[in-house]
Amino acid sequence: MFTIPVFGGIAIDEGIVVTWVIMAVLALLSIIFVRNLKVENPGKVQLALESLIEWGENFFKDIIGEENKRYIPWLMTVALYLACANVIGLFGFKPPTKDLNVTAGLALMSMLLIEYSGIHKNGVKHWCGHFAKPVPLVAPIMILEIFIRPLSLCMRLFGNMLGGFVVMELVKQVAPLIIPIPLSFYFDIFDGLLQAYVFVFLTGLFMNEEME
Amino acid sequence: MLRLDFNLVLEMINLVVLYLILRKFLFHPLMNIMEKRKTKIADDLGHAADVKKEAHALKDQYELALSGAKEESSNIIHQAKKEAKAEYESILGNAERDANKLLTDARENIALEKEKTLRGMQSEVASLAVSAAKKIMKEQYAQEIDQASYDQFLKEAGEDHDGK
Repeated sequence: MFTIPVFGGIAIDEGIVVTWVIMAVLALLSIIFVRNLKVENPGKVQLALESLIEWGENFFKDIIGEENKRYIPWLMTVALYLACANVIGLFGFKPPTKDLNVTAGLALMSMLLIEYSGIHKNGVKHWCGHFAKPVPLVAPIMILEIFIRPLSLCMRLFGNMLGGFVVMELVKQVAPLIIPIPLSFYFDIFDGLLQAYVFVFLTGLFMNEEME
Repeated sequence: MLRLDFNLVLEMINLVVLYLILRKFLFHPLMNIMEKRKTKIADDLGHAADVKKEAHALKDQYELALSGAKEESSNIIHQAKKEAKAEYESILGNAERDANKLLTDARENIALEKEKTLRGMQSEVASLAVSAAKKIMKEQYAQEIDQASYDQFLKEAGEDHDGK
């Protein structure tokens, strides 16, 4: 989209810029709504936010367990970001998640988090040893899994979003009136939220697997 | 579109920054306040249980005191009844004694009166006898005894006696 004139010019993708927009909006909304919190007699906004946070907390607690709740804010951040990024097509932006760099970045962070959670919980020794379980023969596959997991996360999200985006663009070119509306409901809203859900759900699941 | 470059790193930095922002402005305050509320509710419940226990203890104490008071009051009533009975009996005894005394006094008075009367009568009879003896001696002296003087004597004596 544009170039930062350092290191011989860094081309910034549109996805990154849209991500900055999403970040700004989320930060602004957080600062606006999360104010004057009260222990007693909370307002309507606070109650809505609390129930949202609690719902997310319970959802992730069910996956990764009560004792690993320190990862929940990260997972909720990713979920929130993906939910915004996947439905932002409705507001005229191109969804950043149709960009491979973005989904690869997300998946890489997930990979780091998955392995980090395992090492943090059970120690480096156990982490090294768990590749040879149940039998040492599976070690290559287990090591491959480290990369296969984020790859599948990355490609699933990228493929779904790019596919939806391309289909929507084609439909808009063929029939720009009315017809795109129901399709937009599916591709932009349903599929977008579903992919966000799947991404964080699988990340949590892999973390839980790693922390066993 | 299918290329990986420096934007990948930018996206990762973006994510970390977004995480830090949201943690500071969204998750941390909200989770904090929810945690605070949870502790407060637990505290309040514990406090309520304590107060309840205290109230039960006080109730037991009061019940004990109440039963003690009941016993005491029944004791007092019992005592009062006993005292009243004794008082009643003593009053009754006094009255009886007084009545007896009055009766004996009256009897004594009556006896005294009787004696007095008797004595009066005796002196009367004696004077009567003297006057009779005088009369007889007068008759003997006059040698005259008749019906008229007898009647006269009897009349006088009767008048005297009636007059008494």
